[in-house]
Amino acid sequence: MAAATSITKEYQKFTPMENETDTEIKIEDLWVKFPDKNGGEPVTALQNINMDIKQGEFVSLVGPSGCGKTTLLRTIADLQPPSTGNISVRGKTPREIRLQKKYGIVFQNPVLYEWRTVRRNVCMPMELMGLPKKYRTARVTEMLEMVGLYNFGKLYPHELSGGMQQRVGIARALAIKPEILLMDEPFSALDEFTKEKLHEDLQTIWSKTNKTILFVTHNIQEAVFLSDRVIVMSPHPGRISAIVDIDLPRPRTLATRDTTEFNALVSKVRNSFEGV
Amino acid sequence: MEIEKLQDRTNVEKLTTVLYPVLFGIFIAVLWQTQILHKILGTDTFTLPLPGRIISIIGDNHATILKNVGATLIVALGGLTAGSLFGYLLGIISTAFPKWGAGGLTVVSAFNAVPIIAIAPILNNLTKDFSKDANTRSMLAKMLVVMITCTVAMSINAYRGLTELKPFSLDLMQSFAASKLEIFFKLRVPNSVPYIFTALRVSVPACVISALVSEYFAEYIIGVGRQIRENIVLAQYATAWAYIFVACAIGIIMYLILLTLEGILLKGRR
Amino acid sequence: MGKIKKALLSKQMVIAYWVLGLVVIWEILAVIIEHTKRTPENVLPHLHQIAQSIFSKDLVNMDQTALQIVLSNTGITLQRAGIGFLIGIAVGYLLALIMNMFSWAEKVVFPYLMIIQMIPILGMAPIVLAMTKDINKSRIVIAALLTFYPVATNTLAGFKSVMKEKHELMYSMAAKKSDVYKKLLIPASMPYFFTGLKISAPMAITASILVDTLQGGGGLGCMLSQSLKHAMTIYVFWQIVFLSAIIGIASYYLMSVIEKLISPYKKVGR
Repeated sequence: MAAATSITKEYQKFTPMENETDTEIKIEDLWVKFPDKNGGEPVTALQNINMDIKQGEFVSLVGPSGCGKTTLLRTIADLQPPSTGNISVRGKTPREIRLQKKYGIVFQNPVLYEWRTVRRNVCMPMELMGLPKKYRTARVTEMLEMVGLYNFGKLYPHELSGGMQQRVGIARALAIKPEILLMDEPFSALDEFTKEKLHEDLQTIWSKTNKTILFVTHNIQEAVFLSDRVIVMSPHPGRISAIVDIDLPRPRTLATRDTTEFNALVSKVRNSFEGV
Repeated sequence: MEIEKLQDRTNVEKLTTVLYPVLFGIFIAVLWQTQILHKILGTDTFTLPLPGRIISIIGDNHATILKNVGATLIVALGGLTAGSLFGYLLGIISTAFPKWGAGGLTVVSAFNAVPIIAIAPILNNLTKDFSKDANTRSMLAKMLVVMITCTVAMSINAYRGLTELKPFSLDLMQSFAASKLEIFFKLRVPNSVPYIFTALRVSVPACVISALVSEYFAEYIIGVGRQIRENIVLAQYATAWAYIFVACAIGIIMYLILLTLEGILLKGRR
Repeated sequence: MGKIKKALLSKQMVIAYWVLGLVVIWEILAVIIEHTKRTPENVLPHLHQIAQSIFSKDLVNMDQTALQIVLSNTGITLQRAGIGFLIGIAVGYLLALIMNMFSWAEKVVFPYLMIIQMIPILGMAPIVLAMTKDINKSRIVIAALLTFYPVATNTLAGFKSVMKEKHELMYSMAAKKSDVYKKLLIPASMPYFFTGLKISAPMAITASILVDTLQGGGGLGCMLSQSLKHAMTIYVFWQIVFLSAIIGIASYYLMSVIEKLISPYKKVGR
């Protein structure tokens, strides 16, 4: 490695990680159990999870409440320790990936800091990385343009609608160029019209940036519309019931939702649930 | 396995929550008795007597002490009850007449900022002719001071409790064509109970403090607070400290009673 | 016509009506007292009498009018209250930080914080004076004691109020602990911190005045007790009563103003 100038040094924080294989996330025999509050039998949140996610894939986890999809996402994100089993992200543990700041997370609740303007909210991850101010300002503008909120930078979160707040959340998650985007029911709290618009926007962002996206939702149509593959999960205990390939052509539009292929896939996913 | 480790951890948590403060308290008590504390603070055993001596004074004088405690308690509890009831009443009135209510409560909370020192002497003078007996007169004056303190806390919280309803709960009642009175008793009053306790958490310690301070200004020399002052003036520090311990005990016990009540009455909520 | 009615019933006017109502009640009481007491101004003078005394040029003691006495001593009291207030804020905030950072610190300190709230600190003023033997030190100590508790508990509540997801966001970005404090906990706790300030600002002033009453050395409380004992005109007392009320309320509003400057993001009507 040649000696780096000061500017290149910062950008080196963004060098993509080496990846020998295509696999981004590999999960083997994962079990997650929680202790029972009253000291009884532990609750099994996730049972015997095995799955691979390829680099650049858009994968959804779908299922009803209690199927463990959020737990699975959180375990991958290192917000929750596994009980037994193995998760490797490009050969490293979730913790190592998190410490390298390679994750972008979008929660259901936008989790914006109400004392910061929109610009400063998007700016925050970059502050944590210690990036120089000039770069941060430029990148924030870039991100806001990408999510269509360029004119709203100086507003405070409470002045924005729910959909706009969520877009700020996405802009923030993408600000430090994460390798993997983890989204936990990000659009559940929004109305149908906003949702459809955001689906299209997310698809555009994904195709432009080629991130690996893991998307959790309880909405089957949303999952089918957005994903390359849909992982169907069932509750009690949480487990994978089926994995459905979505081979609809891209880019997918509103019209795609009316096609027979789309609805057939939605039915296929729906019928894959067990015990519901 | 992970699970057992997690459960062990919670047990240890519970233990240390109790153990640490108790150990710290014993530590301070030891420092005090062995006079290391005096060296730290730069005082002598005359102004800061040893705990052993203080406790023995309490034991010797418990009759007098009880009499003074009684006087203080009557003032504190009387003022607390009157103030809380009156405060709740004000809250009700403000709820019934919202326009006037909000303004009135702003004025009432301004009273909170008025130092008690200013109020106490005024009330003393106002009540001078209430009764021939100096003790009764003073009691009234002191209780009025305590009452003012408690009224403020309770009225603000009562107003909030009666008016800050969860979204749609009022709509629900109206969809059942409930009368205003029914809404009041079946929705607003139960909703306000946690807020009553919020107010009490402030006004119970406050009523003890107000009682003690108002005793300074009262005509008749009685009460724990007054005794603290009188004994310091006479340089009888050990007795003064004895009364301080007693005052602390009163405050702590009353607060613990409040917490227990709260635990019982608010059981199952949230 | 509707516009006039609206203006007449606006929030500010309502408060004005309340104040007017209180004035009326006062005057009525004053009239009653005028006719029943020998020295009515000791009990409840007419408001215009108090106003008159403010503007009167009569010398009350050797070389000062009533107003001058009050104003010059106000400066002294405020200065002392101010120092104690600042120390209390610093200690309170630091304590809240430490309690949040180290769970053992929280476990040890929290019960004692509760106990301090239950202890009538104002009632212990004489003892603090006796221990420090210095009226200035004791003023500052008591003001600090009364200030640090609301600041510490409210700030700690502010730290703990932060939604779990905000913490998880920081965690997912592998933020350093110092960043978590600088960028999340401290800004998030600002509203709570200011609530603590609004409570303790008037209390610091009250404490300062109270300590003044215990011993000479200037200050509003000292003048207050001298006036009560008729060492000087009773109107000094009344002026101090009103002035201390105004200062108390003003300190509360000062905190609100500062809060608006530092935290412009707060939603309107919070």
